[in-house]
Amino acid sequence: MKIIVLLKRVPDTEAKILINQEGTGIREDGVKFVINPHDEYGIEEGLKLREKLADGSKVTVVCAGPEEATEAIRTALAMGADDAVHVCDPKLADPNPFTVSEVLAKAIQAEGFDVIFCGKQAIDDDLAQVQSILAEKLDIPQVNNATAFEMAADCRSAKLSRRIEGGDEKIETSMPAIISCDKGLNEPRYASLPGIMKAKKKEIRKKSLADLGIAEVPGTGRSRVLKWLPLPKGGECRIVAAEETVDAVRELARLLREEAKVI
Amino acid sequence: MSIQGMILLAVFAAVLAVFGFILRMLVRTLKLGKPEARSGDTAKRIRSILVQVAAQARVLSQPAGLGHFVIFWGFIFVTLGTIEHMAGMIVPGFSYESLFGHAAAGWISLLQDLLGILVLVAILVSLFRRFALKPLRLRIDDPAARREAVLILSLIFVLIVLMLCIKSIGVLEGRIDGRYAPVSRFVSGLFVGRGLDLHLAESVLAWIHHLIIFFFLLYIPFSKHIHILGAIPNIYLRNLGPMGKLDRMDFGDENAEKFGNSVITDFTWKQLLDLYGCTECGRCQAACPAYLTEKPLSPFRMIHRMRHHLMRERGKLLAGGTESDDAAIIPDTMTEEEIWACTTCGACMNECPPFIEHVQKIIDLRRYLVMTESRFPAELQPVFRNMEVNYNPWSIGYASRAEWAEGLDVPAASQKTEFDVLFWVGCAGSFDARAQSVSRAMIALLSKAGVDFAVLGVEEKCCGETARRLGNEYLAQMLIDANIETLGKYRFGKIVTACPHCFNTFRVEYPQFGYQAQVMHHSEYLLQLVREGKLAAGPVPSTAGAYHDSCYLGRYNDILSEPRELLRRMGVEKQAEFARHEKRSFCCGAGGGRMWMEETIGRRINEERVGEFLALGVDNVFTACPYCMTMFEDGLKAREAGGVRVRDIAEVLLEAVGGGDN
Ligand SMILES: Cc1cc2nc3c(=O)[nH]c(=O)nc-3n(C[C@H](O)[C@H](O)[C@H](O)COP(=O)(O)OP(=O)(O)OC[C@H]3O[C@@H](n4cnc5c(N)ncnc54)[C@H](O)[C@@H]3O)c2cc1C
Ligand code: SF4
Ligand code: SF4
Repeated sequence: MKIIVLLKRVPDTEAKILINQEGTGIREDGVKFVINPHDEYGIEEGLKLREKLADGSKVTVVCAGPEEATEAIRTALAMGADDAVHVCDPKLADPNPFTVSEVLAKAIQAEGFDVIFCGKQAIDDDLAQVQSILAEKLDIPQVNNATAFEMAADCRSAKLSRRIEGGDEKIETSMPAIISCDKGLNEPRYASLPGIMKAKKKEIRKKSLADLGIAEVPGTGRSRVLKWLPLPKGGECRIVAAEETVDAVRELARLLREEAKVI
Repeated sequence: MSIQGMILLAVFAAVLAVFGFILRMLVRTLKLGKPEARSGDTAKRIRSILVQVAAQARVLSQPAGLGHFVIFWGFIFVTLGTIEHMAGMIVPGFSYESLFGHAAAGWISLLQDLLGILVLVAILVSLFRRFALKPLRLRIDDPAARREAVLILSLIFVLIVLMLCIKSIGVLEGRIDGRYAPVSRFVSGLFVGRGLDLHLAESVLAWIHHLIIFFFLLYIPFSKHIHILGAIPNIYLRNLGPMGKLDRMDFGDENAEKFGNSVITDFTWKQLLDLYGCTECGRCQAACPAYLTEKPLSPFRMIHRMRHHLMRERGKLLAGGTESDDAAIIPDTMTEEEIWACTTCGACMNECPPFIEHVQKIIDLRRYLVMTESRFPAELQPVFRNMEVNYNPWSIGYASRAEWAEGLDVPAASQKTEFDVLFWVGCAGSFDARAQSVSRAMIALLSKAGVDFAVLGVEEKCCGETARRLGNEYLAQMLIDANIETLGKYRFGKIVTACPHCFNTFRVEYPQFGYQAQVMHHSEYLLQLVREGKLAAGPVPSTAGAYHDSCYLGRYNDILSEPRELLRRMGVEKQAEFARHEKRSFCCGAGGGRMWMEETIGRRINEERVGEFLALGVDNVFTACPYCMTMFEDGLKAREAGGVRVRDIAEVLLEAVGGGDN
């Protein structure tokens, strides 16, 4: 079975995000990049599925991103993925979800697939659209925010859970499908050192748009970021202190009502 | 030669042959281990034998060691007598008297008698300790360990009694000068007037005695008394370098499938020799913070079980086979819980009379678990991740590393390139709110003293200590290499740091990676500044307190007097001492990466230490390590001990030089 896992390179959760002067994006100096944390659940689920099947199934990482994304891809290979496709093209400098989805769809179709795992959202722009657009383009079902996944014995369907407001939703889907993964699905593994060593020799197939048969950057007219703006500076923080806790709470309530006028 | 002499010679030759065979097997077993260089420094090594074997310095560092000292020397003199007696049976007429003269032989005889009595007393005391007092250090969950100890003690007791009886017959028969054998002469009273055939009695007793000795010789290698063979070479080959220095791993082989130790043959021959050297005295266990707070780890039990593991597997291994899968080191000999419980405090190694090195073994097992199996307590994953991505074990972005210094005038190395002191802030000093205040105090002190210094700011990365002690050597080396590259860009006189973990790493471990620099802990450097008059420390008010020795500062690096002198010079009016202090200090619980792990089993180590502090009835804990500081702050909160302040010596000094409380 061909298991595809999607990987996006995003700024580390702890990175200090500053918007560049032109307001066209973030300043990348001083920012460390990592695998999108939700994608790690996808990678782990792909690896677990391969281990469970133990039938020579392969896990292939697919990533669209700049040259530097190689580091993140190697990490996924070190975790245990078999190989990777890296779509890397200067024309993809500032893609929107439609662009990325179109590109990923082409790359995935070229690879062939039986199941696709991805993250529920990328923690950089938090759009959570790629999986849905991709599902449309590939014409396959999608299950989002999965917190449990179990492939049927014949690999033609799978049972899933997704955490929703107030409970879990149990879902069955036919295969192939695209599954976006949420926290709770699994505990992503820490790459072992033999894994890291082996990853250095695993194949990363670099693809340009031309290689995928794409002449024009797709989806450019669909949406566009106009400007990036920093958050307005927050007000001063005040600590309400009093001898008795209950007095402090009373004072806090008064301030919220009378000064902040929020309650 | 008499018939008896001939029989004795034959038995003796057979026993020696078997013993030689066993020795050869023991040596071949050691050779199953990996290579390790342990030579050089012959003079120091010989000295170590004199001090630690002949004078038994470490054994005698505890009162109960006196028993061992007596038995050790008593046994040597008894053995001299045994040799004389056996030789006399084989070569008629042989005696020390004929060899060395009357007086010398007399002295040997006198020592035999006196030591003999002392040994009997020592054995009775030992048995009393074992059966009545049951001290914590002798506790072990393997009944065989106790049986062995009791059997050997009883046999030695019998041997001494037999020796005295044999000698007393010698006195009666006039072969031994009674003036040099007061005890034997006294015992000889038992034989007088009973119509015994003295000659026959002596033969019977001597045979019993000699057969016991032969049994002993063949039994030793299979019991804990293998230490009689192992301890002396182990002391000779002991680590003469810095304590607890971990070996450097080589990651050159990209096809390697395994890192760290998972089978007994992964250990070096010296690590296997350690297993022969253990006397099962349990001193390590009685000092171990993990054991004393009811964690599953005991360094004594670890060595005991590893020896049994080796004994069980060696037959197969020597025949060219591999270790049994169903009795692997992890988890059958050492559980993962034990492996992760160690704080690497080194208290075990500091106590161990035969100088066994426990910590490297535990780290070798961790290395296997982390790097090969990727198996470790879940809470460590974000720690490793963050050290990889943000170069610190806190979950904070690396770009924030210099934020603690905002608003202060802190010169950056990148703007100076040449300076006298590089103040190495460390991860704690950069990110931990409490330790940041120590960093700020250091800046104030360095500035006040007019020191030409700089900090690396965001260029600084974790020194690698935490990763290394957690068994993630690969990550540690990444950090070490990166730091060495950064440090290479600047010219400075020395590194000064307020963290004993960074300090030890720079002093002892960076040289393994080709980086040498003078490094001083802030307790040394601040004292130097005070001594030189660059900082004028006036007395600080209300500072009755006790100084807590950090393991990596005191035990590992012998920095014991500097912080104390510094406090004295600040006029700390009452310096109390923890019951366990200096080299025998008790860990705060944070070392060995334990800072980053949950402590769910047993009592908490820091609360144990805080309990010890509260018994002193003083109001200040003085620390010189950011981890100790955190552990004390938390422990005091848990014990709801209000009114106690935890203060780094730099903070106190800043107050003493009139820099105010920062
Ligand atoms: C909790 C929540 C509530 C929301 N509510 C609303 C709402 O009410 N109304 C509304 O209009 N919008 C809402 N949004 C935003 C909206 O849903 C987004 O349109 C949607 O969430 C976005 O998709 P996406 O492009 O971000 O996917 P992404 O975040 O970009 O990516 C999702 C996954 O696709 C894969 N992927 C993405 N890029 C790449 C790449 N370059 N290479 C390989 N793989 C890639 C990764 O696996 C990734 O994890 C909400 C979002 C969230 C999270
Ligand atoms: S280093 Fe400390 S915690 Fe570890 S085994 Fe030795 S005494 Fe126990
Ligand atoms: S390891 Fe050392 S201290 Fe511990 S029991 Fe053995 S000899 Fe004693």
